[in-house]
Amino acid sequence: MSNILEIKGLSAGYGPLRVIHDLDLIIQSGERVGIVGLNGHGKTTLFYAIAGLTHWQRGSIKISGKEIGRTRSQGPGRYTHIVVKEGLAIMPQGDEIFHGLTVEEHLDSGAFTPLSWKNRKQKREEILEIFEPLKKLINTPVGRLSGGERRMVSIGRGMMSEAKLYMADEPTLGLAPKIGKGVLEALLKIDLKDSAMIIAEQNVALLEGKVDRIIGMHAGKLKGEASSSLSMGLKN
Amino acid sequence: MNDIIFLVINGITVASIYGLIAVAVSITWSALGLLNLSYGFIFSFAGYGAWLAERHIYGEPIFVMFMGIAAGIVGGVMVCLIVFIPVHDKPNFTIRGMIGTLAVSLIGGQILLQNFGPKAKLLPEFFGYGKIKILDVTLTADKIGIICSSILMLTIVVKWMKSSRRGLEIRAMMMNPHAASIVGIGVRKTGIYVMAVTGAMTGLSAALLSQTYYLSPFSGLTPMIKGVSIALMGGLGSVRGAVIAAIILGFNEALTTKFLGGRYVLMTQFALIIIVLIIRPRGIAGILDKAREA
Repeated sequence: MSNILEIKGLSAGYGPLRVIHDLDLIIQSGERVGIVGLNGHGKTTLFYAIAGLTHWQRGSIKISGKEIGRTRSQGPGRYTHIVVKEGLAIMPQGDEIFHGLTVEEHLDSGAFTPLSWKNRKQKREEILEIFEPLKKLINTPVGRLSGGERRMVSIGRGMMSEAKLYMADEPTLGLAPKIGKGVLEALLKIDLKDSAMIIAEQNVALLEGKVDRIIGMHAGKLKGEASSSLSMGLKN
Repeated sequence: MNDIIFLVINGITVASIYGLIAVAVSITWSALGLLNLSYGFIFSFAGYGAWLAERHIYGEPIFVMFMGIAAGIVGGVMVCLIVFIPVHDKPNFTIRGMIGTLAVSLIGGQILLQNFGPKAKLLPEFFGYGKIKILDVTLTADKIGIICSSILMLTIVVKWMKSSRRGLEIRAMMMNPHAASIVGIGVRKTGIYVMAVTGAMTGLSAALLSQTYYLSPFSGLTPMIKGVSIALMGGLGSVRGAVIAAIILGFNEALTTKFLGGRYVLMTQFALIIIVLIIRPRGIAGILDKAREA
């Protein structure tokens, strides 16, 4: 077991606003971690800080031992592509989609790292097995899909890359409960091998018993850590 | 009847030259958020590149044309390095980028003036002086060559954008820059590709126009103004919209020259653009777009 993600003393925010306060977090390979917290307590900002998308940040972030955190004060997104190349797959909240690309092209756009680009056809097949409804829509522009289908495409895009760390930001937000559950189950089906996954969620009940650890997030700090009872039971 | 066909051919010839610049403006705007006003300079730069190649390297017309395209690529990448990369993540980028590229256009024009003098230069005829007669209408090789090479260039660019990995990157950036950075697309690297491709298109249009008219340090200004206005009418950011707008404005130019006289061209052109933008604020692309935005 090695540390996939190692965060030490991370603070981040937007303009004068400080959202994340001196946060520490370690995630090991093969782990599936849930981060639970209410709206506005910094779940998305934590993800953005890891990806270098906040306005400013300081502290250390390491992916597989490689430092990707920098102290910086401007240019959100300036280094994001470098971070993504280090092995980060982000499944952002809401509709961060390319509305004019077809489903097929959209999935391919998730595989920009050289290794994943080579395997993209096989990966695409795997993802279409998980998200059956997308099979018929493979040549439809994403802008014409329904909310649930868009979320599937957006999560599928994240799954296309051979990442070390997958981060899913509220995958069930705004979806009908049944569809949301399906999307979450698809996320849990991914074979992690050596990689790790973080799922941010407001609804604890959805994650309980399905992930290895659940961490609470409150006012920009991680609060309390509970190993998920069911998986603990299995491990012992 | 002959007159009409002649007008149609003229309209398409004009449209294909300005259309290249319009599509370049459109792609740069939507992929990089940069309203690039330096195409005037890139145009003249490419023209002089072709002229120098003809004088000092090899005089074969087709070779000169390709050197024009190559010089356009160099010019585009230069503008990207000088303007886009330094300011792309600074506040108020849209305005800064516009002013920066305009400055490059003006300063670059002066530098060309200093080095080459104000005297107009001529490029060789690329397509020879042949003529074909179809149904009593004489088509010069020149016009056929211009139309075919522009269409070929546009087809190659569109095909490349549709099928290659870089093209997918550029299209993704055109649609949603934020999501593009999330999937790992580097803005600066993609910027260089975009400017190289659009530079090549401008280079071709420079070579084509300079062989029919002439080449001078500021001969790129009018094509740029026309290119930008065609791109506006097409709805900035849409390749199809720009092509359709280029055809409409090409016909307008041919018709106005025929019936009112050449000096009225800009007037009727802007009147047409204003009418289209009043009815369809998003330009022609607003009519074409089928997918809903984000």
